[in-house]
Amino acid sequence: MQTAKSVVITCAGIGSRLGMGTTKALLEIDGRSLISWQMELFRDVEDVRVVVGYQANDVVKEVLKYRSDAIFIYNHNYFDTKTGASFYLGSRHANEFVVKYDGDLLVHPEDMKLCLATEGEYIGYSDVMSDDAIFVTVGEQGDVLGFSRRKGDFEWAGPACIRRDTIKYTSGTVYNQLEDRLPMKGIHIRACDIDTYTDYERAVEMVRGWQL
Amino acid sequence: MIKFIFDLDGTVTSQETLPLIAEAFGLEDEISELTRMTIAGNVPFVESFIRRVHILGKLPVDEVAALLGKVSLYGKVVDFIHAHADDCIIATGNLDCWVSHLTKRVASRFYCSSGLIENGRVSRLTNILKKEQVVAYYKNTGAKTVFIGDGNNDIEAMRTADVSIATGLTHWPSPGVLAITDYLVFSEEALCRQLNQLLSLARA
Repeated sequence: MQTAKSVVITCAGIGSRLGMGTTKALLEIDGRSLISWQMELFRDVEDVRVVVGYQANDVVKEVLKYRSDAIFIYNHNYFDTKTGASFYLGSRHANEFVVKYDGDLLVHPEDMKLCLATEGEYIGYSDVMSDDAIFVTVGEQGDVLGFSRRKGDFEWAGPACIRRDTIKYTSGTVYNQLEDRLPMKGIHIRACDIDTYTDYERAVEMVRGWQL
Repeated sequence: MIKFIFDLDGTVTSQETLPLIAEAFGLEDEISELTRMTIAGNVPFVESFIRRVHILGKLPVDEVAALLGKVSLYGKVVDFIHAHADDCIIATGNLDCWVSHLTKRVASRFYCSSGLIENGRVSRLTNILKKEQVVAYYKNTGAKTVFIGDGNNDIEAMRTADVSIATGLTHWPSPGVLAITDYLVFSEEALCRQLNQLLSLARA
């Protein structure tokens, strides 16, 4: 069991780009909500924190089906902020190391286990799949050297482990904050984040391929 | 320096105390509808409290105090309070004379409402605690304040505190609480984990 780490899942957003009228945590992926897949990934982590905003009551009730000991954090200003603000709020009173996990992200369970077992800070990157990717450039040793909106070797799907005391409030995204700290250790993972309907269909296909 | 200020009913006690008194003395019908409307936010807390004390104040104070002295508590929460007694405070709208036995079981500073006792009964309310004033007092001493509560009468205290934690240990927190809270927990384990984390960060 990881006791020195917290996992912060940011689920406050509206999911407007996806256009399915629900916050992404409640999306049904192969018969289960997206947040339920995520709770499964983190069932051995003691300190699981879920940042809520839009449809907060519904997300809280869904999480409680799987984890009665989750800690919920409110981003009341979810409409005017991005993941950077939610991640800061979720992290500020957490353990020394914080695993950042976007609420629209699915990581292969084997790869998430590898991430959780990794000591210290890292950034998880995947093969480019998303329609609206944040690209990363990776060095020969697998370290992450840079982020880009235009091009790169891989895609930053979102997971990262970061020291709590380096996390600052930002109204922007988390990768803007990480840019100043590169290079960082990288871990190649199989992952899919869901920003568009095509991403959503891809995520459904992905979980059906998992041999669990 | 950090101070943890706890609501009592449903946060430290696992039963709501005024309904418990009403049930023990056969006054459920008079109290239950009022309690339900208060929790739903349809009757302002202060008005509801005055009306409930008007009904329950006719009961013998010593019997009410003895009853509340036996109310069930959240063990892990009480353990945290006892382990950090100097930094934990209870702020309750309940009457000091009614919780006089209970205060002996929870070794913490208590701030309560108070009433005038005549012939062993509460003849009238003399002070209704404003929990936000307790928070403001400790903030003015330079302490970082954390307020833990679940009801409408906790909202201003939670807004005033540096950190607010809504609890759903006994019932779903009131909508007004959820509109302003920083944290929400549904188990003693989660609450105590967060309290210990705040404590270690404050001492770092």
